[in-house]
This record gives sequence, C-alpha cells and structure tokens, in this order.
Amino acid sequence: MKIIVAIKQVPERDARIRIDSAGKWIALDEIEFRMNESDAYALEEALLLKEAHGGEVVVLSAGPERVGQTIREALAKGADRGIHIASDKLGEYDALGVARLMAAAIADEQADLILTGLQSDDLGLGQTGVILAELLGIPHSSLILKIEKTEAGIRVLRELEDGWFQHIEMTTPALLTIQSGNTRLRYATLMGIKKARSKELRVVEADAISVDAARCVSLDSVALPSRQKTTQMLTGTPAEAAAALVEKLQQEVRVL
Amino acid sequence: MPVVSPIFAACWLPGLTLAEPVHFSLVEKLLLAALIAASGWLFWRRFGVIARRILAARKDADFHLFPLGRRCWDFFWEVLCQAKVIRERPLPGLAHAFVFWSFLAFALVTANHVATGFGVGFLDPGGFFGRLYFLIAAIFALACAVSIAGLFVRRFVVRPVWLAHKDKTVSWESGVIAGLIFLLMATYLGAYFVPDGSLAVRLLWWAHTLTLLSFLPLVPHTKHLHLILSPVTVFLSRGGFSEIPPLADDDDFGLVTGKDVTQLTALQVYSCVECGRCTEHCPAANTGKELNPREIILGLRGYLNEFGPASEESLLGRWNSQQAAFQCTTCGSCEFQCPVGIEHLPVIVGLRRGAVNTGEWEDEHGGKLFLALERSGNALGMAHSEREKFMAREELPMFDGSQEYCLWLGCMGGYDPKGREIIRSFVEVMRYLGTSYGVMRREKCTGDPARRLGNDLVFQQLAEANLETLAQNKVKKIVSICPHCVRTISEDWKAYGTPPEIEHHSEFLARHQARLPKSAASQTGQTGQTVFHDPCYLGRYRNVYEEPRAIVRAHGDLVEAERSRERSFCCGAGGGLAFLGEEQGARVSETRVEQLVATGATTIGAACPFCNTMFRDALASRGEGAPQLLDIAQIAAAALPTSVKESDSLNMQEERREEK
Amino acid sequence: MNTVLVFLEAKSGEPTRISLEALAAGAQMAAATGAELAVAMVGAATGAGFEMLGAARQVFAIEDPLLSEYTADGFTASYAQLIEQVKPEFVVLPHTYQVRDFAPRLATRLGRVLISDVTGIAMDAGKVTLTRQLFQGKLNGHYHAVAHAPTLLSVQAGAFRAEAATVTQASVTTFTPNLDAASIRTKPGEPFRAAAQTVDLASAPLLVSVGRGIKDEANLPLVKELAEALGAELAASRPICDAGWLPMERQVGSSGQTVAPKLYLAVGISGAIQHLVGMKGSQCVVAINKDENAPIFEIADYGIVGDLFEVVPALTAAVRKAKG
Ligand SMILES: Cc1cc2nc3c(=O)[nH]c(=O)nc-3n(C[C@H](O)[C@H](O)[C@H](O)COP(=O)(O)OP(=O)(O)OC[C@H]3O[C@@H](n4cnc5c(N)ncnc54)[C@H](O)[C@@H]3O)c2cc1C
Ligand code: SF4
Ligand code: SF4
Repeated sequence: MKIIVAIKQVPERDARIRIDSAGKWIALDEIEFRMNESDAYALEEALLLKEAHGGEVVVLSAGPERVGQTIREALAKGADRGIHIASDKLGEYDALGVARLMAAAIADEQADLILTGLQSDDLGLGQTGVILAELLGIPHSSLILKIEKTEAGIRVLRELEDGWFQHIEMTTPALLTIQSGNTRLRYATLMGIKKARSKELRVVEADAISVDAARCVSLDSVALPSRQKTTQMLTGTPAEAAAALVEKLQQEVRVL
Repeated sequence: MPVVSPIFAACWLPGLTLAEPVHFSLVEKLLLAALIAASGWLFWRRFGVIARRILAARKDADFHLFPLGRRCWDFFWEVLCQAKVIRERPLPGLAHAFVFWSFLAFALVTANHVATGFGVGFLDPGGFFGRLYFLIAAIFALACAVSIAGLFVRRFVVRPVWLAHKDKTVSWESGVIAGLIFLLMATYLGAYFVPDGSLAVRLLWWAHTLTLLSFLPLVPHTKHLHLILSPVTVFLSRGGFSEIPPLADDDDFGLVTGKDVTQLTALQVYSCVECGRCTEHCPAANTGKELNPREIILGLRGYLNEFGPASEESLLGRWNSQQAAFQCTTCGSCEFQCPVGIEHLPVIVGLRRGAVNTGEWEDEHGGKLFLALERSGNALGMAHSEREKFMAREELPMFDGSQEYCLWLGCMGGYDPKGREIIRSFVEVMRYLGTSYGVMRREKCTGDPARRLGNDLVFQQLAEANLETLAQNKVKKIVSICPHCVRTISEDWKAYGTPPEIEHHSEFLARHQARLPKSAASQTGQTGQTVFHDPCYLGRYRNVYEEPRAIVRAHGDLVEAERSRERSFCCGAGGGLAFLGEEQGARVSETRVEQLVATGATTIGAACPFCNTMFRDALASRGEGAPQLLDIAQIAAAALPTSVKESDSLNMQEERREEK
Repeated sequence: MNTVLVFLEAKSGEPTRISLEALAAGAQMAAATGAELAVAMVGAATGAGFEMLGAARQVFAIEDPLLSEYTADGFTASYAQLIEQVKPEFVVLPHTYQVRDFAPRLATRLGRVLISDVTGIAMDAGKVTLTRQLFQGKLNGHYHAVAHAPTLLSVQAGAFRAEAATVTQASVTTFTPNLDAASIRTKPGEPFRAAAQTVDLASAPLLVSVGRGIKDEANLPLVKELAEALGAELAASRPICDAGWLPMERQVGSSGQTVAPKLYLAVGISGAIQHLVGMKGSQCVVAINKDENAPIFEIADYGIVGDLFEVVPALTAAVRKAKG
C-alpha cells in the first residue's frame, strides 16, 4: 500500500501568542515549531498500516525551509521519503490554494491512500484534506480513528458526535483525515534519525507549480480575545454555589 | 613498633622454624613438573577463554589510561587497603582483607615453596630473613585461617540473604574454595609443628602443593576469578561516578547486542564476586521488584559465556530482562558499594539506551514522557505558559546578563505546586541576602529523565537547546533547587558543550549561612527533631553531605536515619521513574518514608523536589501525625523576619544602616 | 433578490439546536443585507420544530432515496445542485461533524472556500467580516470572502442564540437532486455506541473525579449520584484506587489515565502535580475543595470552596432540577 501523509508544521501548541506589527498574524520570532498534533496521529496510522501490509509511506509538507525539519522527524519515525513544497509565502494561499499545490505535487504518485490530520493547531480549518480529495476526485472520510484494509479497499472507524461511532467502507484510492488520540504515538529515536539522513527528500518549489492561486477568502487581521482564562470562585451557601455552577455549566460550558 | 619487636624476638626461638623437605628425587621433581603443567593447563583452558572474550569485546572509545594518579590511588585504597570491602561490612570485610593480605604475603612463600621442590629454594627457613618472613606469613596464615573459617560459617550457617543466588541456594564452590584456603594455611602452619626431616614434613609439603595446584584451576571456573581480575578492574575503571559513556559512533545505540559490550564492561562482569552488596543496597531489589543489580551483571556474564562478545543476539532476552532494566532509579547505591569496581550504571543505562534508541522499548508512560519532552520541552507535558504565569505571579525577574545567578527553575520548580513553594522560599532568601538573580523564559527540561532512560536523541536536543539559550543570555552561574538538574547540567551536558558553573541551593545556602538568621527554635531547643534525607543525586553523585545538614542544624536538632549519607536509600523518583507507571512490589517512596519516620523526627528535611513529591505522597497516606516535610530552603526561609520577607533585602537594610 | 441559504440538520424530524443557531445567524445576515432567508434540509420537514423556522421565506426539502444515509458524496452533490438553482449570496451551515465532513468538498466544487467554525458576524457597509478562532481559541481571526458569490460559512455551536429566530409563514418546496448511485463512493454502516461495560475515561466527555477528601468508601455513593445526574463517568485520584475503593482504570494522573473531557469536576482532590498532568487538557475544570489554597484551584475554571459533604448533594439536586 502506498500512503501519502500530509503534515503541517505549526507553532508549538503552547506558544506565546503575540501579534505581529502588521496585525495580520502572530510574531514568529521566539516561536518553536512542531508537527501538527493530529498529523502525528495520521503518520502513526500510516506507519502501522505499512508495518501490517507493507508498502511505502511518503510524507508531504508545504512551507518554508524550516518545514524540512518536521519532514525529517517523520522520516525518523519511519516514513520512507519526503516531498517538501517549498514556499516562504504560503500564507498568501488560502486552503484551496494550498490543496491545489499539494494535488499538483503528488499528481504522479498514484497513492492508494492519503492521510491528513483532522485539523491544524494554528488555523484549525479542518479542510485541507477534504479539499484535496475533491481536487483529486477521490472519496474521503473525516474524523477517522481506525483503518482496516479489506479485499475491496478499506473499512474505517469514524467518530460521530456524543460518543457514537460508525464504520464506513470505501474503495481506494481514498483520503482520510485522522482524529487525534486513538493510538499511542511512537517516540523519535536516535536510530530513526540516523536512518532518516539517507532517505530521499524531494523539494518542489511552490512558484514552479502552476496553479490558480487567486484567493477566495482572506484573513484580514487577528486579535487577542478579550477574556483570558481565570478561575471564577462561586460563593454563597452550598445551594447557591451549586445553582451558580449549574448555570455556568448550562450557559458557558454547555454540558447540561 | 610494639608488634614487630616481639616478632623479631620470636624469630630466634628454636621451635619456630619452618620445616622444609630438603631433597627431592627426580621422580618427585618430574611429578611436580607434571602436576604444575596440568594445573596450569587446566587454569588456562578456562582463563584463556575468558581473557580472549574480554579482549575480543569492543574497545572503549572514551578510555584514557592517563592521568595515572587517580588509578594508582584507587588501586592502593580499594585493592591494597580493601577500603570498600571493609567499610560497608566491617567484620566480614576485615576477614576478607586478612585473606587477601595473606595471599599477598604468601606470594613469596609460594614461589619459594615451588622452587624448593626443584631444589632451588631461595628463602632459608634458618636464615634471619627467611625466619622473619615465614613467621610473618605464619601470622597472616593464622589470621587467614580464622577468617576463612568465619566466612565459611557466615555463608553456610548464618546465610545472609544477599549472598544467596537467585534460586536461594548458596554456592557450594565457595565452600570448596574456603576449604582449600583453609587447607593451604593449615598445611603451611603445620610445618612449624613437625620434626625436621620427618616423613610428615614431606607429606605436608605435598599436601600444600596439591592444595595449591587444585586451587589454581578452580579460580577461573568460579567467582574467585576476581582474585586475578578485580585489581585490574579497579585500576582500569572509568572513574567518576555513574558516568554514562558517550556513544562511540553512528552505529552505537547503547547496549543492544554482544557487539556493543566493551572491554571494560566485559572485564567488570567477569570480576564480580557475587557478594550481593549491590543488591543489598538496591531500592528496587529491596521492594520486591525484578531488578537485582548483581543479576544484571551476572546476566551479562552469562550472555558472554553463552554467546560471546561478537554475537548479534539481543542482550535483553534470556539473560537480562527489559523490565528489570527499566526498574532502576539510577540511585547509584550498587555502584557505590561494589568492592571490585564494577560500574553498574553504564550497564543498566546502556541496556536502556539500546532499547530506547532503537525504539524497542514500548511503554505507555515512557512514551508519553518522551513525547512530552519532544513537544513541550518539559517532563510534565505542561504548557509553558503555566510556567510564565508563575514567574509573573511571583515577580521573578528575567535574567538579562546583569545578574549574578541564573535561577534554574527546572520542571518541578516551574510547574509542580510544591516545587514552586521551594522556589518561592529560596527566592525569599536570595532577596533577603540581596543576591541578584534572574530566570530564563526559554528554559527547558535538562533532559535528566531522557538521559537516564536512555533516550539520547531527546537528551541531546534538550541539552543543545538549553546550552544555546544559556549562551545567548550570557549566563555564567546557575543555582538550582534540584540535584538532578545540577548533575545533568554539570556532567551530562559536557557531551554537547561547556555548561556554565552550577551549584545546588544547599551549597549556596550553606555558604551564606552566617548572614542568615537562625531560628528562634534552634536557640531554645524546643522544636522536635529533623531527619535529613540525602538525595542520591546530591550525596553519592555530588558528594554534598554537610551543606544541607548545616542548614538543618541552624534551625533545629538533626537526627540521622539508619541509612544516611553515602548509604542513603532512594526516594524512588530517579532514573525517570517518577514519570513511569505503577511500581512492581512495594513503593520505594513508602519504604524510605518508613525508615525516616522510624527516627521519631517531627520534620523530614529534603533537598530535592523529586524526593519532596515522592515523600509528600507517601506521608499523606500515613494520615494525621505524620512528620511535616520541608525543603531546606523552606527551613531557611522560615527564620527570615516576616517584615523583610516581602521586599526588604539585607543589602537595603545595610544601606540604610550606612546612611544612618 | 439576494438569498441567504441555511442548511439545517434534523434529528428524528426536528431541527437540531445548533441548526437553529445557524438559522439565527442566517437571519441576522439576511436582515442586515436585506436578503431573503431560505432554508434547506435533507428529508421531509415534518417535526413541530419546523413550524418556527423563523424568517425563512422558503423551505427546501431535499429528497432522494440515496440520501437516506449520510454520505459526503450524496450531500455534496445535492447541496451543490440546490445552490446552483437558488444562487444564494451566503450559505450558512451549522458546524457539526457532518458539515465538517462534506462542506469543504462542497465549497471546492463551487470553486469557493468555506469559512468554518465562525463565532461572529459583523456587517458594515456591505462588507461582511467573519470571525473565527485560531490557535485553539487563543486568537481571533477576522476573515472576509473575496470575489464571487456564494460565501460559505459554518457557525460554531453556541455562538448564536437560537431564540433569535422569529416565526413567519414559509412555503415548503421539495427539491429532488439528480443523483447517481455510482457517484456515491462510500458505504456507511449503522452508527453505534462504544461498548458500555469497559471504562474508557479517555473518551468520556464528562468526568466527576473523587479524591481523598471523600474520606471513606462508604461516602462514594455521594459522588456516584452526582456523576449519574450529570451523565458523567466516575474517575479518581490515586489514593482512592490505592485503597481499592475504585478500580485502577479509573485513576487519573501520571501513573494512570490521561484525560481531556469537556468537563472535569474534581471533588476533594488537592491537585498534586501527578494528578494535574493527567487532566490538564480538560476543557473546563471545576474544583470543589474545602481548602481555598489547594493547588487544584490554580487550574480550575470554576471553584467552590466548601465542604464536599454539603456542596455535592446540593449540586446533585441542582443538576437534577436543571435537567427536569
Ligand atoms: C510517582 C507518583 C505517581 C503518582 N501518580 C498519580 C496518579 O496517576 N494520579 C493521582 O491522582 N495521584 C498520583 N500520585 C499521588 C499524588 O502525588 C497525590 O498524592 C495524590 O494525587 C493526592 O490525591 P488527593 O488529591 O485525592 O488527596 P490529597 O492530596 O490528600 O487531597 C485531598 C483534598 O481533599 C480536600 N478535602 C478534604 N476533606 C474535604 C471535604 N470535606 N470537603 C472538600 N474537600 C475536602 C483537602 O483539602 C485536600 O485538598 C502519584 C505520586 C507519585 C509519587
Ligand atoms: S542504581 Fe540503585 S536502583 Fe539501580 S540497580 Fe543500582 S542500586 Fe538498584
Ligand atoms: S556487582 Fe559488585 S557488589 Fe554486586 S555482587 Fe558483583 S561484586 Fe558484589
């Protein structure tokens, strides 16, 4: 099975968010970058499938030079080769534009399966994978927890709302977006890192790919939300505090 | 020389002359030669194999013979003086030392004995030197005979549990060897009591010879191989304490197969005397875990015996288990105790490295820990904004290069609510003293848990990132509340750069002790007693024992636990174990708390945030009446006048005084 | 005239709450732009809830046997065809798991990009600014759509008030899309719930967690009742599992489970670091503890300082009352 895993490099989850001088994005100095969390799970699923059924795992990532680091990390964890869509101004593309670049970069790969994370930790769009499926003309399913290979293709476990699940069957090639947390991620090892050095990493310049880059949506500005998280103490008699809490659970937390 | 002069005098007593056969027939000489050859051949048949195995192992990449000074000292102190042997088990230790010293004394006697058989004896039992030397040897022989008999009784009658094998049996070979040694001494001493020229003299001589020649081949077949190897082992040891050797090259991932075993390690495992001192002191072995440091060493020996050092067979399997290797708290007790200079931690951490660097080790909690370190840069997987919130709340100044100290928060100081209390107290003291300090925003875990669990990749990444940040901030001196941070920064980081100077807060506090107020309680003597627990990484690893005690003493009565200082018992947190799942058997922390509570102290003094968290948990389960738990920084800060705690520093007070 | 088209989801013939919130958002946009509001849903609009579809002038019931089960292919094709026909200015969807699954595909088919998970809509002189959260809510991003219509957006649950919809008369049109069975490439199975007997704290959305403050095994029913009232799983700190009062698999913390529920209600738990690391990812932490200095309050969103033996029964009662 040939599996492509699309991986995004994002600011680490807990990065200190400051807005840049133009007010359009966060200031990137002092920021450390990591592999997007659900993408790490997508990679893990791909590696498990490869271990079970053989084949090849190719990682695909778009972004500036530093993205190479994240691709190497994926290679160290066991992916076989990498494709880096190099661009310093990826922010000028919207999700459709990025997906078009990706579709072009993997057009010749003939993969059986394309996996992406459910959504990115920075933009949180949760769309790139699904858009890519549409561009490639292949079926997809999102929020996937488990993948099994079948005679005809694959059978996947999809998470529904409120603790419900569903199995879905489909033929390959197909695209799946993977939900975090269902498997145990492997840690990076020294041996993996050393092996990764000799693995192929193909760099494709985004500028060299001719796609329609016109944007459909634009992010005009960013702002810090006014309310920061603090502890609210609920006071009064036990009954009063309980009533206040129930109201919070209904109105703010929305779990009742 | 009150002892020597009677010996001199005794030399001239006519009865005290050693009887030796004078003439040996050709047949006897030929027989002797044949027996020596046979004995030597039997010896070499085994010893040669072992020597070749040791030599065939991989070279130690980081080995340097020089400087020799340390080596000579270790050899003198540990081998010749038998210091380690005696220190921990004084009585049997002394008995062993006498056997050893007798053997030394007997070197000349034995050479002469054999030479006599060929008619070329060089010590004249009638001459002054011969008389004197034989008499001295006789005294040693007596001491040796008594000692070996005593050791025999201990092993086979008293039967201390640590001497027993895994299967609870005691080695019969030890009995045979003890018998032979006793016989050697008896046949030597007997020669003082038989008439010169009698048949008995000849018989005794032959008995001594035969004992000697049967003893020799037994040596390499039994743990008595240490007779030959351990002096070499001690002399060649890596030095340092619990030193983790650098990986040799790109294909070195730690101890994976026989091919990764180095010469020094092979030498060490063949030197083990199976005395069980390591196991006796091991917190894991004492709390019902599978790990038993002696069996780790013997397991490796078993592996080398079965597969040899060129084998591709995994080291973890039949002879050593992965589970055991990951139960070690890296407390270092075993290595500290071992009388023959075996370095357990390079082996145990080496086995972990082999398993982790290749991805073989799969452990839910271990995996989580590594991912937390990879992704969040701290062992707890906490958001570092939490750390920043704490820094802001406590108004900790940022390190900007102008301050004297960089205060290293560490994972516990930065995130653990209780670790933060220690930082808070220590900061109060520094403010009071007017010491300038700052904290770094981009501090990451030192990599201690990764290092000890054998994850070289994460450790390297963390060490390098931290070294870079420290260099950028131009940090010259660090102070830390955590002995693990101190050790890792000062020793382990050296593999990747030059770390700034670092000290533990106990060292800082002890140095400034004179300028700090003493507790009122210490003057009135009204408080209860405080027992200080030596953290492994402060005591054995850093040799700091007195400084924290000085602080405790300034604020109350110090009592010692039965196991303290070098013999302190681990809290259970080290080696990354604080982050792994439930322990097999009893909890180390609860066992240690039991020992501390047994002193009757009302306060437990700690000097490590990991010990602190382990004990806090164990004490809580004891319910009401358990002693209180305080870090030495908290003990010191409690005596600060409340009025100055907030903002007033000593300097400001002094300035004001000067103004007046 | 311009149209704002809202796609609804229905459960047992009733529009879901979040669909009504999407409708409210659509109504707000229609009102601000002077557009006409239309709604569409798959299946017949039968339930009583459909009588209050607000200001919608038109209701499209999309009907086709191939739509009896949700598939991304079926929904994408049908919605795309309806949009072709209606040519709305704005398409508003509720941001549900189902919408996440097909809406990006729908937008792509129309040559557009969905603005997903919107929390705020601002209209100013014809320019529509849509706000959505970035970095897990740590930053707000303000978006606008470029070029041609329609603009597709999905709205976050709870961001708009469902009550804002007002009732008017609407006409229901049945829309039959042109679907081909071969174009539906996925075969969905029956939805099911995870087996109930295994404790799976990691995936439980609500947790009530109990600590040493409960004092005695005999007091456990107190928290069990609260958990039942909330529909939550029961979790615990280590001492409770050490004592054998609850099984090990309910232990949260560094040597137990790591959880990240929507609600973590800690009762009589001090918040030792080993416990915190296991539940720090929770979306909302509530702590009940009699010690106002307990570290658990540092990471709590809501705290009640008090005796759990008084607060917990009061809370159980209040929850029961709220649930009716
Ligand atoms: C290596 C290691 C691993 C560990 N792993 C875990 C782990 O996985 N999970 C875990 O939970 N712990 C773990 N621990 C234990 C941890 O350190 C704490 O000891 C433990 O979490 C404390 O549990 P607790 O908060 O329930 O009890 P306590 O700390 O005793 O807290 C009880 C709390 O209840 C409050 N209280 C008492 N009575 C009342 C009342 N009537 N009303 C309201 N409040 C009241 C008190 O104020 C107090 O804050 C671990 C410890 C170690 C050393
Ligand atoms: S370092 Fe400590 S825990 Fe590890 S084997 Fe040695 S004595 Fe046991
Ligand atoms: S390793 Fe050292 S301490 Fe342990 S049994 Fe062998 S000789 Fe004794």
